Amino acid sequence: MLKKRAYEKLKRIFKDRCFLDKLGRVQYSYDATQKMYLPDIVVLPTTTEEVSKIMKIAHRYEIPVVPKGWGSGFTGGALNIDGGIALSLEKMDKIVEFDEDNLMVWVEAGVVNYDLQEFLKPYDLMFPPDPSSWKFSTIGGNIAENAGGPRAVKYGVTKDWIKALEIVLPNGTVLNVGSKNIKDVAGYDIVDLMIGSEGTLAVITKALLRLYPLPEHKRTMEIVFDDMEFAAKMVSNIIKNKIIPTSIEFVDKDAILAVEDALKVGLCKDADAILMIEIDGSLCEVEEGVKKIEDICKNSQGVMSYRVAKDEKEADEIWLARRSISPTLKRIADGKLNEDIVVPITKLAQMIKKTQEIAKKYDLPIVSFGHAGDGNIHTNIMYHTNDKDETKRAYKAMDEVFDVCLSLGGSITGEHGVGITKQDYLEKQVGSDAINLYRAIKKAFDPKNILNPGKMRL
Amino acid sequence: MDSRLKETWESCVKCGICRSVCPVFKEEKSEPYVARGHITLLSELVSGNVDFSEYEAKDYLYKCLLCTTCVEACPNNSETDTIVEIARHEVIKHHGLPLYKKIMAILLKDRALMDFAFRNATLFSSFLFKRNDDSSRASLKTKFETPIMEKGRLIPKLTKKTFLQKYKDYSDNYGYLSLFPGCLINYTYTEIGDAFVNILKKLDISFRVPQKQLCCGAPVYFAGNFEDAAILARKNIDLFSRVNSRYIIVMEPTCASMIKNDYPKLFMYLEDKEYEKKARDLAKKVLDPVKFLYDNTDILDRLKHLDMKTTYHDPCHLKRAQNIKDEPRAFIKKASNFTEMKEADRCCGNGGTFSIDYRETSLKIASRKVEHIENSKADYLVTGCSACIMQLSEILHRHEDDHIKTIHTLELIDMALDGGNNEG
Repeated sequence: MLKKRAYEKLKRIFKDRCFLDKLGRVQYSYDATQKMYLPDIVVLPTTTEEVSKIMKIAHRYEIPVVPKGWGSGFTGGALNIDGGIALSLEKMDKIVEFDEDNLMVWVEAGVVNYDLQEFLKPYDLMFPPDPSSWKFSTIGGNIAENAGGPRAVKYGVTKDWIKALEIVLPNGTVLNVGSKNIKDVAGYDIVDLMIGSEGTLAVITKALLRLYPLPEHKRTMEIVFDDMEFAAKMVSNIIKNKIIPTSIEFVDKDAILAVEDALKVGLCKDADAILMIEIDGSLCEVEEGVKKIEDICKNSQGVMSYRVAKDEKEADEIWLARRSISPTLKRIADGKLNEDIVVPITKLAQMIKKTQEIAKKYDLPIVSFGHAGDGNIHTNIMYHTNDKDETKRAYKAMDEVFDVCLSLGGSITGEHGVGITKQDYLEKQVGSDAINLYRAIKKAFDPKNILNPGKMRL
Repeated sequence: MDSRLKETWESCVKCGICRSVCPVFKEEKSEPYVARGHITLLSELVSGNVDFSEYEAKDYLYKCLLCTTCVEACPNNSETDTIVEIARHEVIKHHGLPLYKKIMAILLKDRALMDFAFRNATLFSSFLFKRNDDSSRASLKTKFETPIMEKGRLIPKLTKKTFLQKYKDYSDNYGYLSLFPGCLINYTYTEIGDAFVNILKKLDISFRVPQKQLCCGAPVYFAGNFEDAAILARKNIDLFSRVNSRYIIVMEPTCASMIKNDYPKLFMYLEDKEYEKKARDLAKKVLDPVKFLYDNTDILDRLKHLDMKTTYHDPCHLKRAQNIKDEPRAFIKKASNFTEMKEADRCCGNGGTFSIDYRETSLKIASRKVEHIENSKADYLVTGCSACIMQLSEILHRHEDDHIKTIHTLELIDMALDGGNNEG
């Protein structure tokens, strides 16, 4: 009853930017996990004040609120698992202040990563984090999940590029944290605490991002292997030789076949694995890097062939293939357990070998691809959802993948976050003391536990 | 339902990439107006989790241009257009056909009735509209506010003699080609059809214009009225399967896409195997006029270069539905000083009845093209679709860009074939 009053109030305030009908709510009930949880109401604010208003009402009536961007997350972080309010920030999509002199930009949370890159291009600038979903994920979502991306090998991840945030606390208070100063150690670093907090502590409404000059030159290479293990070894070999490429991406056999089947971009179908490497920087830096890697290729086992993209078009094709893998996997089976484990790069070969053994043991295709350059592998356990036995085996295989990963000193998630799909494994990695501390922190921000409840073991 | 159709939406993994390309989403910025939302809605509808009448769900169902930009971008080729059409049909199946759609269907199914309606419209047009010759394409301007059109809207002038009537002497004799002008060329832009006929005459290629042809059915099919669409489709299939021409030239890309792509899908949905096969056979003979000229004649070499600055807009149903994009450009480059505009394949926002139902959104989408057209510095905007011509000439008029003339690729080819002594 009380909730109903709150919803009526919201409907009165937001009118056509508020959905109470089932049809509208259904459309905000899912994300890229393909799981569906119906929110009670959808609200599309356009300003921080409106977000604050929503939080005040939710706080008063103790209604769960789930902030979301473009709904492209992989761990269910933006799903309304307990109903309540879906607070979708897609209409807050303005670039607020472009500070070219300080190489910084204030943006609203709903700005899409790629749109920002397009905006920056004429100024020869970029925002380095570039998740594969950059065309359909928002800066707010990138921050909430601390997204990485192929460029992470050289440029790091989202948290390395955030200077300040405007956030709305669960009780509706608007707070500015961080500053434009390059050095600033006054007080707790709330900015860093917010990054990767998956919408459980506060709603991010604006962000001050650090920018970086666009590299003058870049080259893309593709190295084809007849054995996946050699590909993994090559990665640590490159780094050991003190070459820091922008990105080193890794694609295994099943992924090659799926993406080639969908896009016909000319990937070698006989390969067991492909490495895609990008090097950027000044002309001589790039040329030297390419030459060094070519030398390593010549002296390495398992290299079937390698090539350097002739032009931008060829490079784009290579990257398009990489970015399209994830959605094309449905061609193998309709169900997938999509994990993004990460291990120290020296352990990469071991991790991949073990994964192959697990695939064999449970008789399921496990597709691996991802950001090999930073040890982050997307492990996709494929199964048919209507086959109960296969489904069971898939979950068992996943448990084992996580166990191996943790035993190698890795982490259960490199960039997708914990959300609901990985929360059962979190404690195993971080321990119960850490979970208790998380809960204390959560309570300090959100004593009524209304903001994105039920995620991250909170 | 046919499992082949189910695949069209079960392949969606909800990644959200369609959001980054959808022209409607760009203006609306909310999930009900993008492929992923449409797909969810339909799968929930088919599985019985939601039910709704057309009235309740009008915006969710109809605020889609069927431009297929998302299909092109989708890594899994989820066919949003098919999904939306089926969703519209499912709703009609459960809740009946609204009156205006019944009237539309009655009209389209009967050539004499349609001719009658248009003749009367021509008669009354001076009352309702005033001539507008200074826009980028001669047209009529509405004088009053009406429920479906605001005051000042430009619409193409209605022709006194339809294309079919004009060429009725060509109805029975043998022709290497059979022509299917489509309603817009038949009733309004007859001159585009004339341009093609001129070209054929200059090339000495025989053609016929079967008089019994009916509307391809796209307007009713897109509105979810599959039953009446099937009636039109069967009649057209029967008629054109009998003609012994080598090719059936369908001048409007939307009609061509309807006949080639949607007829088979329609009969697949209706589980009519006989007509599904007939439709697939017919599809092999259907060809766009510009594509025909490119593939089957030496006309490209014969074109003179005209002193005209041009740019080109890709119609959705030409580029995405038929994969025709290089052929028109080859002609335009040969015949004029061509500049490629940015985002040439971005939908113009017409979308048939979309431009009436969602006028404001339609104009916003069209306006995004204007800057690119202006930046190309072209005096002539060339395209291959009457609906695009209608939409783009109006949006140029609204932006006081009347000096940029909107013409059809066929008209340009006709001019260049004349020897290049035309205006421009």
